[in-house]
Amino acid sequence: MTELVLSISLRELCQYEELTEQLIVEVVEHGIARPLAGHNSGDWVFDTTSVHWLRKAVRLHADLEIDWVAVAMVIDLLQKNEALQRQNQHFEQQLKRFRDG
Amino acid sequence: MDFKDYYKILGVPPDADSKAIKTAYRKLARKYHPDVNPDEGAEDKFKEVAEAYEVLKDAGRRAEYDELRQYGGASRSGGFEPPPGWQGSGGFSGAGGGHFEGDFSDFFNSIFGGAGPDPRRQRSGFRGQDAEIEMPIFLEETVEETSKLVEYLIPVIENGQMKEVKKSLRVKIPAGVQDGERIRLKGQGGAGHGEAANGDLYLHIRLVPHPLFDVEGHNLVVTVPLAPWEAALGAKITVPTLTGKIHLTVAANSQAGQRLRIKGKGLATKTGRGDLFALLKIVMPPSVNSEARALWESLSEKAGFDPRAQWGN
Repeated sequence: MTELVLSISLRELCQYEELTEQLIVEVVEHGIARPLAGHNSGDWVFDTTSVHWLRKAVRLHADLEIDWVAVAMVIDLLQKNEALQRQNQHFEQQLKRFRDG
Repeated sequence: MDFKDYYKILGVPPDADSKAIKTAYRKLARKYHPDVNPDEGAEDKFKEVAEAYEVLKDAGRRAEYDELRQYGGASRSGGFEPPPGWQGSGGFSGAGGGHFEGDFSDFFNSIFGGAGPDPRRQRSGFRGQDAEIEMPIFLEETVEETSKLVEYLIPVIENGQMKEVKKSLRVKIPAGVQDGERIRLKGQGGAGHGEAANGDLYLHIRLVPHPLFDVEGHNLVVTVPLAPWEAALGAKITVPTLTGKIHLTVAANSQAGQRLRIKGKGLATKTGRGDLFALLKIVMPPSVNSEARALWESLSEKAGFDPRAQWGN
């Protein structure tokens, strides 16, 4: 059976994404990704959704040539936008149920 | 192969200085970056812009490109071929760490010799690509662990050629998965090269909209239509849940928009179950006969109710 996991360790992240630990620490310090567990950076474990945002952050940092503060703002707004879109869809659906027979 | 006019792509004149090129690139990159622009075609546009910038930001590559451009590439109508014996500086290995670099056009590769394998990756092969696919899940499937067949395409390099290969896989989706969650399947992405590991597969969970239930976190909402007299007099009704039906008592004088909580009939969570809310809605009969009409008339005379009393006169 396939091994199914909902988390990824710092070491795996560095290895897979070819990122340095220092860079990930920086991303975490800017609040872009939050470790689920681990006191020291070496023990950090991330959920798989964090990885998605971390990748986005690294791409934006490199491709748009913007600093981490700006990346953190962009990610924050993207996340808020995603949440609002989901909420809006939810309300529209509810309204439709109320209107339609 | 078409000649690519990198200056045109960035919207700068051919004598633009490096600062103008950088500004133009940043502006277009912000607009088309696929991480901020979900529109179809944005990613291709961004790749084109990134490729143009990759060439024009580097004085050496820009000089080579300008030479080719002079050679006539830009004015030819019948496609572009590099001059016979053209040897670009070659050995280009993308710098900077952006994730779209290296994915350049044939035109770029014919001039600069291709991105080439990253030297870091050559030591013991390189890890396979990660893949992400959308995984639609029905609400009913989240209540208990379910087994799903996943089919997806992954890129494989065979004899130096990139090919897409179909893979299928049976996956156990744990109970209580949530919309937007990502599940990582170790080693099920693209095949690794040499001794390197396979990439991972990420399943992006999307809950399929349900004809009856709406999702609010771990709770579900079912909109329950009531006849006006059911709302007035109270009623015992049957309400659907994800796993069957239950009886529900609606109190007399219930209002539209009121929510009745049915404990433990929501979505599964890691620790138990959320709740189901019955959201009341009052529905008028589509038509009434004369007898019913007379009853409504008599009610309107006797009820003594002004729903707009708060508006004043």
